[in-house]
Amino acid sequence: MTQLTISDVTLSFGGLKALSKVNMTIEPGLITSVIGPNGAGKTSLLNCISGFYHPTRGDIFYKEKPLTHASPHQVSNMGIARAFQNLELFSGLSVLDNLLLARHQNLKYSFWHAILFFGKASRIEAENRAYVEDVIDFMELEPYRKSLVGNLSYGVQKKVEVARALTLAPDILLLDEPMAGMNLEEKEDIVRFVMDIQKERGITVVLVEHDLGVVMDISDRIYVLDFGEVIGSGTPKEVAQNPKVIEAYIGEE
Amino acid sequence: MSTNQWLATGNFNTAYQQEQRNFLTHLDRSIFSIFLILLYVWIPLMDLSNKYMLVVDNILIAIVAVMGLNLVTGFAGLISIGHAAFVGIGAYTVASFCQVIGDRHIIITHFWPVMIVISGFVGAAFGAVVGLPALRLKHLYLAIATLSFQMIFQWVINFMSFFNQGQTIFVGRVFWFTGKVGRKDHYMFWYFVILTIVVILGFGIRNLLKTKYGRCLVAVRDNDRAADAMGMNPGLTKVYAFALAGFFAGVAGALHAYVYRGVGFESFTLHESVGYLAMAIVGGLGTLNGSFWGPTALKYLDLQVEHLSEVAGQYLPSTMNLSTAMKPFTFGLVIVLFLMFEPRGIANWWRIAKSYTKLWPFRY
Repeated sequence: MTQLTISDVTLSFGGLKALSKVNMTIEPGLITSVIGPNGAGKTSLLNCISGFYHPTRGDIFYKEKPLTHASPHQVSNMGIARAFQNLELFSGLSVLDNLLLARHQNLKYSFWHAILFFGKASRIEAENRAYVEDVIDFMELEPYRKSLVGNLSYGVQKKVEVARALTLAPDILLLDEPMAGMNLEEKEDIVRFVMDIQKERGITVVLVEHDLGVVMDISDRIYVLDFGEVIGSGTPKEVAQNPKVIEAYIGEE
Repeated sequence: MSTNQWLATGNFNTAYQQEQRNFLTHLDRSIFSIFLILLYVWIPLMDLSNKYMLVVDNILIAIVAVMGLNLVTGFAGLISIGHAAFVGIGAYTVASFCQVIGDRHIIITHFWPVMIVISGFVGAAFGAVVGLPALRLKHLYLAIATLSFQMIFQWVINFMSFFNQGQTIFVGRVFWFTGKVGRKDHYMFWYFVILTIVVILGFGIRNLLKTKYGRCLVAVRDNDRAADAMGMNPGLTKVYAFALAGFFAGVAGALHAYVYRGVGFESFTLHESVGYLAMAIVGGLGTLNGSFWGPTALKYLDLQVEHLSEVAGQYLPSTMNLSTAMKPFTFGLVIVLFLMFEPRGIANWWRIAKSYTKLWPFRY
């Protein structure tokens, strides 16, 4: 069964068409990559899925439920988490608090319990703290647990960004260029995490990435966007041989 | 393994619930308890005159108000320059009851705790309504929206005959179990009441900040886009922040009405709003203990400036009123100095002092 269906999505800002008639299907348990030159509309597409933009035309379905007009917090409550390209962390808080914030919707106690803080609130907080610890363990963030996010290095912040999305316990994880601006070692780390997320946790991954080497190696399916249109799709092998894709990336002779 | 529960060093948490404690060591808890007992004991021992008791009561009322302002401006990052108007809403809730049922009605004099809570909730309701522009507006524009609420409040009070057109509306003397609280014990009585309220509300905030209802405020301040993506409704959170601030302001307003035994509009002007904001900044935005430092420091400064100008005034021509000139001057100077040299406020000094003692007796 298809997990996420994007049908005929068009997004225009005035006269500019950021996306035009994009069709995609995301299969459960796979790593689906979206690639394309700068300004091709990759991030716009992710913004449409996660609710920051609403498509001008077309629909997006998640397990047959429409989320075309859902707001970001509704989308994340449905089980679609998003890691941002430009770090959007809560920089004044510790790593721990950043991750605990992602548990927001799972903390089911009332305001009055929170003020009195005994019994229910305390227990649920502790449970979710344990969940967060699990993610910290998984993403190898132990040394930074209590440090302020704003003071951490870029590579670690990127890891925190992915970890925070993971803490939402999503079914689908949208990763927007998780490897941008990193050195080879850090990239290898993130690739390992992405593959672990898919294999160990069974989370569907949608990856937007510029590093073609990484994308070709780990993706199960690739969509190529150019000027807001899908110009090619399929397995990495198929895409690599697609003349349109070669034209978009390398140019015509 | 037996560990020394009095020091932070060498103790490790073995359960997540241990992390949630308010006091990490016995020492912390003891120091706090002793400090609290001293607060309750020193006033009867000192036997201050009514003038100084009023200053002390004023500080405590300002602490309640600034705790609310700190939640909305410090933690949620929404600048509110209409906070005195919310305090006014609380005070005028009591005043309205006085107008309708008479200022010596049993509800006013005997059920004053109920009145205080009602005023808090009325303040919260107004806070939520005024917070609605926060759904669309940000930063400076939101500040202007709260400013306009301040203006609307002042005009409504000044022009409605129901509110005596801003002239004083009297509030009757309250009763305690021992009978009517007379003129001599009035300020002392309210000192204990307000102190108790401050302690309750302080622990309330402390608990709130450990839970999602506190964290979501900080999330909205730091990055409301990300907060949205993490499953929080940023709009709702902002309205909730304003409602919370309104509640504290409402309680502070009701206390103000009872302590002064009257409500007049001049205590809730824009000038007072800026004053609350200054207290929050001097104390330290986004910290709980800052809400205690700020009002204490600024009100104390006010008192000292008054003393100084009294002394200096003897050497100056009597036509010059030094006190009225000195007060705004020092007030402005202190704020500018704090913004320049310690934008994180007195709470930062407290933090530094605490981090020195944390590892004691070891250096690192």
